[in-house]
Amino acid sequence: MFAKKTVALFIALVMILSLVLSACGGGAKAQPVTLRIGWAGSPDTLNPGTAVLAEAWTIFELVYDSMYDLQLDGSYTLDLAESVKTSEDGLVWTYKIHDGIKFSDGQPLTADDVAFSYNFYAANTDFPYMNPYTAYFDKVEATSNNEVVITLTEAIPNIDYQLVFLYVLPKHIWEGVNPIEFENVEMIGSGPFKMVEYKQNEFVHLAANKDYFRIPPIIDEVIFQTFENQDALVQAIKTGQVDLITEMPNTAVATLRNEPNIAVVTGAPFAPEVTDIIFNQCTPGNCPLDAGGVCSGHPALQDRNVRLALAHATDKQKIIDLVLLGLGTPGLTLIPDGLGMWYNSSLKDYEFNIPLANQILDEVGYKDANGDGIRDMPDGSHPLTFRLNWPSDSINAPRTAELLSETWGQIGVSLQMQAVDPDALTAQCCPAFDFDIMIWGWGSDPDPNLLLGVMTTDQIPTGSSETGYSNPAYDTLYNQQATELDKDQRIAIVWQMQQIVHDDVVYIIPFYPQATQAYRTDRFTGWITDKPKVALEDVTSLVVVKPVK
Amino acid sequence: MKRQKYLLNKVAWSFFTILFVLVLNFLLFRVLPGDPARAGVRDPRMKQEAIEAIRIRFGLDKQVINCFESLNPIKVGSCTVNPFDTQFFIYVRNLLQGDMGISFHSNRPVAEILVERLGNTVLLIGAGQILAIMLGVAFGIIAAWKARTAIDYAALLSSLLAWSLPTFWLGIILLFWGSGHGLPIGGKATPGTSSLPFLQQWGDIARHMLLPTITYTIVYMGEYMLIMRSSLLDVLAEDYILTAKAKGLSTFQILKDHALKNAMLPLVTVIAINLGFTVAGALQIEAVFSWPGLGGAIYEAVVRRDFPVLQGAFLLIAVSVIIANLIADLTYSYLDPRVQSE
Repeated sequence: MFAKKTVALFIALVMILSLVLSACGGGAKAQPVTLRIGWAGSPDTLNPGTAVLAEAWTIFELVYDSMYDLQLDGSYTLDLAESVKTSEDGLVWTYKIHDGIKFSDGQPLTADDVAFSYNFYAANTDFPYMNPYTAYFDKVEATSNNEVVITLTEAIPNIDYQLVFLYVLPKHIWEGVNPIEFENVEMIGSGPFKMVEYKQNEFVHLAANKDYFRIPPIIDEVIFQTFENQDALVQAIKTGQVDLITEMPNTAVATLRNEPNIAVVTGAPFAPEVTDIIFNQCTPGNCPLDAGGVCSGHPALQDRNVRLALAHATDKQKIIDLVLLGLGTPGLTLIPDGLGMWYNSSLKDYEFNIPLANQILDEVGYKDANGDGIRDMPDGSHPLTFRLNWPSDSINAPRTAELLSETWGQIGVSLQMQAVDPDALTAQCCPAFDFDIMIWGWGSDPDPNLLLGVMTTDQIPTGSSETGYSNPAYDTLYNQQATELDKDQRIAIVWQMQQIVHDDVVYIIPFYPQATQAYRTDRFTGWITDKPKVALEDVTSLVVVKPVK
Repeated sequence: MKRQKYLLNKVAWSFFTILFVLVLNFLLFRVLPGDPARAGVRDPRMKQEAIEAIRIRFGLDKQVINCFESLNPIKVGSCTVNPFDTQFFIYVRNLLQGDMGISFHSNRPVAEILVERLGNTVLLIGAGQILAIMLGVAFGIIAAWKARTAIDYAALLSSLLAWSLPTFWLGIILLFWGSGHGLPIGGKATPGTSSLPFLQQWGDIARHMLLPTITYTIVYMGEYMLIMRSSLLDVLAEDYILTAKAKGLSTFQILKDHALKNAMLPLVTVIAINLGFTVAGALQIEAVFSWPGLGGAIYEAVVRRDFPVLQGAFLLIAVSVIIANLIADLTYSYLDPRVQSE
């Protein structure tokens, strides 16, 4: 009885062992130069129309081309186009496409493909990100083999921003497919890399396009491998199973810095992020009842003095040191510092000063009426007890909330803190305005237009405005900058808008998180690390890195 | 005849349970708060039309069922609407055609996603379960036969330890150890191996399976060993075993002909139940070893509020648990004739 079982076991083990050993021998030195990148996410789909995850866009940047290229310092250069002409009134833009560009299946890329792609994005209103970029398009047509003419409905200052993410798709592949359900597994594009194999949530395997119309990549292949947890990522680069990791837990930074053969880089993320403390300031007059507005915000938060006192009672540096382990920059307004010239660096922040905060509240009449240690409204009606909520999938918010509660408690404010399911929080937030204070955040576009729009009156009923802030002067400036064609003038207006919302303490921005990436110094060299943004997986680095000899 | 009636009875009950689960499954996800059309895409640029289009595409604009327009918040609707035009009947009709809907997240058919991931899970968990059963039963028998000796105590202690180890902790320890010895850190296969010949491809997969399978085996082996041991001890204390010994039968013969058949019964039940839950995947192992299985898919679907995938996965798990229990019942009735006389 025992003998039979043991023998069976033994045979099973021998079989497994032999499979293992045969595979060990099979891992011969690969001839092509392959760069392995580890990340913790994965594209949601390879269809540029329907994709929403950042990882999908990283792949699109490598496999497709668009009219412009976004550099890591925030500037735009022409990519597919070799020249551009614009009409006097700024409505008609004529682009001349390079000759001789080919898709990875050998077909030429012509103005026809460009026009088809733009019209394709414009026609599908349920493309979440792509469609809004075509908002100003009146007509797009290919007037010759290499000329594309775009007619706009009004003159805008940032057509480069509108076109930079509109990837040019091959008409002969995409014509007639179901735009939403087409999985695009083969990804025929004209970019510096082409698709070899894709397994969702496992890996993306790309090969260099040696016929790329600009200088082709030096490496032969790049593989993005998905790891379900960040500790595995750190272990992977330590043991050399990957050559670059695009993220890591802040706790691992110190360990990796001490490793020989590994270099750690920090800087603004490619899509700059901002974490914000949101005050519900929606006045009853602005409450969007038709859209489901509840507007249960604490009345004290509509008083700028209260928000100002809370700002003076927020220790941003301590939050950065404890929550981010130092890997962040102190925040000012909703426009993150990673946006370069758009960021108003001249603003003076409210210093952390508890006595000053207490003084402000004393002077305006928020006294502790019943001696319970919590201030009350001047008319004694409500205590300054605020609900503080954050999405339950946030890593940094719980600790941030604790720190806020500590310092805000010193000025007589008490908090009812609660993590809420992100879905439920969205239902509470906007346009219901059924909260007092929230901790949340945004990922920013290269153009400040998006985040500036969040604070306009128009966005209160749509659900984009989280604060319910309404300032006609601000709204006017917003419309102005959207159509101001002079770059310097537009920057001045955007800076002025930031001054206004900073003065009104619409948000408290504790920090802008930084990105941290690490690469092995003994494998590849030539990484672009001297720009304000750190994005080593971006096309800028991947086309220039070469193996260490 | 009695046997057939028993079988029919069991099968009928399983069928009705599945139907009940189907309905419950549907209602469960309609009762959750939040709007799936806006879930995950918190972007002010997304126009109202886009959100509406998404809602229409996933059939969320239709009434949930007659008399109820939505379940969270509860909104009463028209009772006279065509029942075939409600979300419930569309769901049932599609299910009967094998269409489990489309993932909110990746727009791929749910059935395709689940089958892919299910295959990976069954591979990993199947291997782990088989090893765990073999080792657990073997050690259980040894421990029971040598009860109250040093061997027994050692086996007991190690099994308890193994069963109580947190799976993710053991996984991480093995991962860190294994990665220092050249074993892969995660995933199912090295990218680029799908074009290699069959043996090399599966050798690569086996290398990736080594650590997660060992983790799974260690934890579950403990459970099977303990059950086998206690069940066998009960049987060995019976009078007929003493008679068998008195008759002069060898250890091997006693175990084979008399003891094991009776001792296996509780183990069969436990194995069947565990196999039923196999489909849910070992979430912790999949997370630690980045194994692309069903557990990981469910976790991601929860995070992204991907209701169609969740619905499909839960239905799959429920059906497999019910079927596994049915098989356990039938096997039990085959092994133990006393069970049918009820």
